[in-house]
Amino acid sequence: MYNDKNSQKIVDYIQNWTRKHSIWVLAYGTGCGAIEIPPTMTSRYDSERLGIRGAATPRQADVLLITGYLTVKTLKRVIRVYEQMQDPKYVIGFGSCTINGGMYFDSYNTIKVLDKYLPVDVYINGCMPRPEAVIQGFVKLQKRIGEGRATGAKHYKENLEWYRANQKKIIPNWVMPEYNW
Amino acid sequence: MKELKDNIINRIKANFKDATEKNDFSYNRLDFHVNKETIPSILFYLKDEMGFIHLSHISCVDWLEEGEFEVVFIVWSPKDKIKVFVKTRIDRNNPVLDNIDMIWRQANTYERELKEMFGVQFTGLVAPEEFILEDWQGPPPFRRDFDTAAYAEKTFWHRPGREDAQNVRETISKRDGEEIPDFAKKYER
Repeated sequence: MYNDKNSQKIVDYIQNWTRKHSIWVLAYGTGCGAIEIPPTMTSRYDSERLGIRGAATPRQADVLLITGYLTVKTLKRVIRVYEQMQDPKYVIGFGSCTINGGMYFDSYNTIKVLDKYLPVDVYINGCMPRPEAVIQGFVKLQKRIGEGRATGAKHYKENLEWYRANQKKIIPNWVMPEYNW
Repeated sequence: MKELKDNIINRIKANFKDATEKNDFSYNRLDFHVNKETIPSILFYLKDEMGFIHLSHISCVDWLEEGEFEVVFIVWSPKDKIKVFVKTRIDRNNPVLDNIDMIWRQANTYERELKEMFGVQFTGLVAPEEFILEDWQGPPPFRRDFDTAAYAEKTFWHRPGREDAQNVRETISKRDGEEIPDFAKKYER
């Protein structure tokens, strides 16, 4: 009975339902987009009514927001932060810089496409997205979690070599711990 | 202001024979151009004798066509409220300059930046190897002969489908099948 396929479905449903109502976002801003997070969190747009709130450390957080452009130097730290996060974990690419480079498309030191290096569940476009758009993105993520489609972390684990190869291509001096989750 | 500027020019020109001044600014600015050997002594003189105790910035201009770098030192006098730009030209293929961080400690940071971004070497500069760029393997990126677009094209993966330098008005009107109104046409590129 317990290993029944249908009962697993019910367990998944309850799991996803609970997960989607407590999205804790790591307080980590990588680019200029981080300036849109305080208005999203504070009284005007009050994202805490949707269960979205800040978390202090990577191990407590569920969502990693990549807010804007990502330099190669920051990418190193972001990969480390992402690998320290516990399951369930999701990545939101925030702003057009994470999608196609945005206005930094010809910059010598920023990455152009985030999903080559980290598994992105939801992209929010805009330069920069307003708090409404940010909340829209979170609602989209909640929907995906509820449907069980936000499987970026699983995808990362399964395709770790591919991601590592991409990461090591632009980070030649790779001195990072290997996590064995 | 004018007497103050003339006084500064006279004192500098009396002490440094190679200094040429540029004094056609309507605001509180003065430029001096000197040889690169004079840089430490003129900055010492400005700081110790004339009250220019604040180093605002050290900057670099790349004169690619002339094969030279122009290094600019900006100093500020809080007493006279005048900023003095001290400029010097150095050879682009052998960009070596005297280290001045014994005059102002904070010059060390600017010199590290110039070393990393332009490849300007300062003799006797004691500093870690890297400043901002980590694991940088290309040429100094602020030089004008460094092609950032080509470097980014080579190094990073680009999402296909992006077309740059489009005429926004034309593209949207073509996409939506709209006429561009006459008043908008005069702003055409």
